[in-house]
Amino acid sequence: MPDCGFDLAAKSILSAMRRPLWLGTILLGLSAAAPQRVVSLNLCTDELALLLAPKGKLASVTVLAANPHETMLAGRAAGIPTNNGRMESVAALRPDLVLTGGFSNRYATELAARLGSSVIDIPPPASLEELRDNIRKIAQAVHNVELGERIVAALDADLGPIPASRQSAVLLSGGGYTVRANGLSAALLRHAGLEQMSFPGDRANIEQLITRPPEVIVITEYRAKQSSRYQSWLAHPALGKLPKSTRILHVDGRAWTCLGPPIGREIARLRARLRR
Amino acid sequence: MTRLNLFLGTVTLTLAAVSLLWDPMALLTLPADVAQTILLELRVPRTILGMAVGATLGLTGAALQGLLRNPLASPDVLGTSTGAALGAVVASYYIGVGGSFGIAIGGMAGAIIALLLLILLAGRGASTATLVLAGVAVSALAGALTNLALSLAPSPFALYDILFWLLGSLADRSLDHVAIALPPMLLGCWLAWRGRSGLDALALDEDVATTLGVDVRRLRRDIVIGTGLAVGAGVAAAGAIGFVGLIVPHLVRPLVRHHPGAALIPSALAGAALLTAADLAVRVPINGQELKLGVLTALIGAPFFLHLILRGKAAS
Repeated sequence: MPDCGFDLAAKSILSAMRRPLWLGTILLGLSAAAPQRVVSLNLCTDELALLLAPKGKLASVTVLAANPHETMLAGRAAGIPTNNGRMESVAALRPDLVLTGGFSNRYATELAARLGSSVIDIPPPASLEELRDNIRKIAQAVHNVELGERIVAALDADLGPIPASRQSAVLLSGGGYTVRANGLSAALLRHAGLEQMSFPGDRANIEQLITRPPEVIVITEYRAKQSSRYQSWLAHPALGKLPKSTRILHVDGRAWTCLGPPIGREIARLRARLRR
Repeated sequence: MTRLNLFLGTVTLTLAAVSLLWDPMALLTLPADVAQTILLELRVPRTILGMAVGATLGLTGAALQGLLRNPLASPDVLGTSTGAALGAVVASYYIGVGGSFGIAIGGMAGAIIALLLLILLAGRGASTATLVLAGVAVSALAGALTNLALSLAPSPFALYDILFWLLGSLADRSLDHVAIALPPMLLGCWLAWRGRSGLDALALDEDVATTLGVDVRRLRRDIVIGTGLAVGAGVAAAGAIGFVGLIVPHLVRPLVRHHPGAALIPSALAGAALLTAADLAVRVPINGQELKLGVLTALIGAPFFLHLILRGKAAS
């Protein structure tokens, strides 16, 4: 049934009520001059800023953004001053735009306001739509809307359509940690042709994996060479007894930390590997 | 109980809620190779480790209470477990001796250092208050250093890794963990156990014990090193599981007429039984998840600790 005009208007108002910050950001983007000193206080906003902020305008990113163990975009952070994720560490830069990652406290926001900086808070995306929105929000804020749309288009192209037939899967990291069956990671896996299985507390134990083996286990490798108890969980001998029908694939865990633009390419790679 | 522990796990939950406790044979409905893997690779190591860690905590708790002549002494109250945790964190994230073996070595070193520091701070024959205060200080120092180590850890996820491990668990342990943890635990328990007659003499007084031919210095060394080895390896394998070492000797002591030396083996057996029972209890899922073993023992142990303090206060 086609939407009537009233419904459309109501939906648009409701949507605006749900996303006042986004609306504010658009207004900011339309009305204000392009920011000259952008700082990011979170790894996930770092990734967006590194892709979207015009050259020379990004005044600071977190120290994690420059670490190749943490993000695939570390190379782009070369030469950019780093901060420790707190507003105090970037106050001296007098930023005109501060990007925070959804976990900032109100003191950071208040301090930024006192310094005359605009603050845009970008919570971690919970859906593909929110992921696209986050890209667009930053693109608007740094006056790079066209690039933002290109990145969204590239993301969608990499993701492609969801295959009708999907294999059961578990996206697994050290310690048995996995992802919610109805979250963004699971939605992304669907585009690769995988259907994430559900586990209580988003944590799988080895008994469950052995008795309900998925068709595919996707292991996200994060600092795989660094010893930790999480990593040693993946080396449990019982996991070696999984049936041969269970395919185990290792993927770059860095793209799965923020679920930002680089994830599109990772999904495309994963889909290609599954087809081999 | 051990037999029940072998047959009780997550798998039975998925078959039917009722089978959780009362149908241990549900495991046999699985394909033979799957059942064998679950039994031999997961539940046998879990049960062995549970018994070994419980026995270790019980025996070393009794030995420390005898050595320090103090009913509030136990590996966790005196900061030994926290020291072991610090050692394991440093070994894993800073020295880079990763894997279960490196973590176990770090845990043992941390536990021994914490005990030596405690004895240095409190002195010999310290009063209950002094000992507990010194234990709190050692525990706080080790805890602070652990937090510092985590704050400066190269991986941002190290915090979660260590925090969850410190809550204590025996889930998903392998025979490799058993092979690494068991020898130092056995050696440590043996060192503490061989001082049993000395502990009985020490209960009278240190001078009396010396007169009776007890080498008190050697006794102290054996128990400190033994506790460090055993608790350090136990913490490295199962995380910090508190209060077992405190509770168990108190439960056992009346049965052995309050002889510290005679309480060692019964404390080990009771500790093994208590931790195995606790591990059974945590497998009953809350919101589909296992409760952490250290959380359960703390929930049981903390009121008991309070009871001991109140009883001591009333007696004085």
